[in-house]
Amino acid sequence: MSNNININEFTGDWDYNILPENIWLSEGCYLERKESFERFRSQINPGLIIGRGVQVYTWTVFSVEPEGRLIVGNDSILVGAIFWCAESITIGERVLISYNVMIADSDFHPRDPELRRRDAIAISPEGDITQRPPLETKPVVIENYVQIGIGAIILKGVHIGAGARIGAGSVVTRNVPPGVFVTGNPARVANLQEEYL
Amino acid sequence: MRLSHDWFPEDIPSNVVIGERSWLHSSYVFLHYRSQRPCGLRVGHDTGIYIDSFFDLGTCGEVEIGNYCTIAGPIIATNNRVIIGNYVLISREVVIADSFVAAPAQLSDISYAQSVETTTSIVIGNDVWIGTKAIILKGARLGDSVIVGACAVVDFEVPPYSIVVGNPARIISLHKQKVTA
Repeated sequence: MSNNININEFTGDWDYNILPENIWLSEGCYLERKESFERFRSQINPGLIIGRGVQVYTWTVFSVEPEGRLIVGNDSILVGAIFWCAESITIGERVLISYNVMIADSDFHPRDPELRRRDAIAISPEGDITQRPPLETKPVVIENYVQIGIGAIILKGVHIGAGARIGAGSVVTRNVPPGVFVTGNPARVANLQEEYL
Repeated sequence: MRLSHDWFPEDIPSNVVIGERSWLHSSYVFLHYRSQRPCGLRVGHDTGIYIDSFFDLGTCGEVEIGNYCTIAGPIIATNNRVIIGNYVLISREVVIADSFVAAPAQLSDISYAQSVETTTSIVIGNDVWIGTKAIILKGARLGDSVIVGACAVVDFEVPPYSIVVGNPARIISLHKQKVTA
């Protein structure tokens, strides 16, 4: 029954050249599964830049909307991040993102109830997707050396300073200063680190 | 050994022991398994390990799972020893890990396989029930019959019969007085 399974597609040994042209890969990338790119639909070039030596594991999903651009800096490790990118998500260098993390630069539905109902109708199975109200987006920026813990959620407009650490299960709704450890829902500063680089 | 029902074309690693009447959904759970220990994973009898479970063990990683457990899709990422008792229920999307920023062990780490002492980082007692998306971190010692609520983050000792919820987790009650003779 397992004859048609190609193990190389699970261990990063597939042909990265089949990816769309607006995905720019640098040297030494490890992309475990091509399924990570199944929901990539950016129309801009580049829509995704993956830096040198970046490791992307099985659970990662690059869900990038037609207008979205996602940048991942050198030597970052993406274990299980789901990126919901409608405009811009920027990840710095040597960033570590653990399991079951979610990072979004939009809430993907309007806050206003009337607009939201219109959105619900537009995205229904037989709906007219062109009638969706415009998405409100705010870029997400994650600076160098940031560590994002298991199950953390990073919401739109958040800027995480260099070397900050995001505790497991945190929900980050506001900017995080460099070098601090935040935790909880909503995430708050737990203690200051003396050194972070 | 190859599982007869397996969709993933790999063998079960040779240092994995699975007890009688236990069920493992696929060798896919060992995608990032790097344990070089004599026994990296030991599973008791009558235990089920279901889809979306992963054993992301480092070279020194050891996991022991007891009897009659239902392991419904957690990720266990450790380079130490994790001990899980009998009759334990673990829900979907749970992560059991050494570090709050755990990652799969990398192939390049294999060189230090024999040089690092394995220490016990997490102990889960008998009859424990772990809710969905809970995160169990190094230092967690869950006593017998503990209930861990959904999305709780636990990295400390929890006495038997406690219910622990929230992030950071706190013990909210005892669900039954321990019977003392």
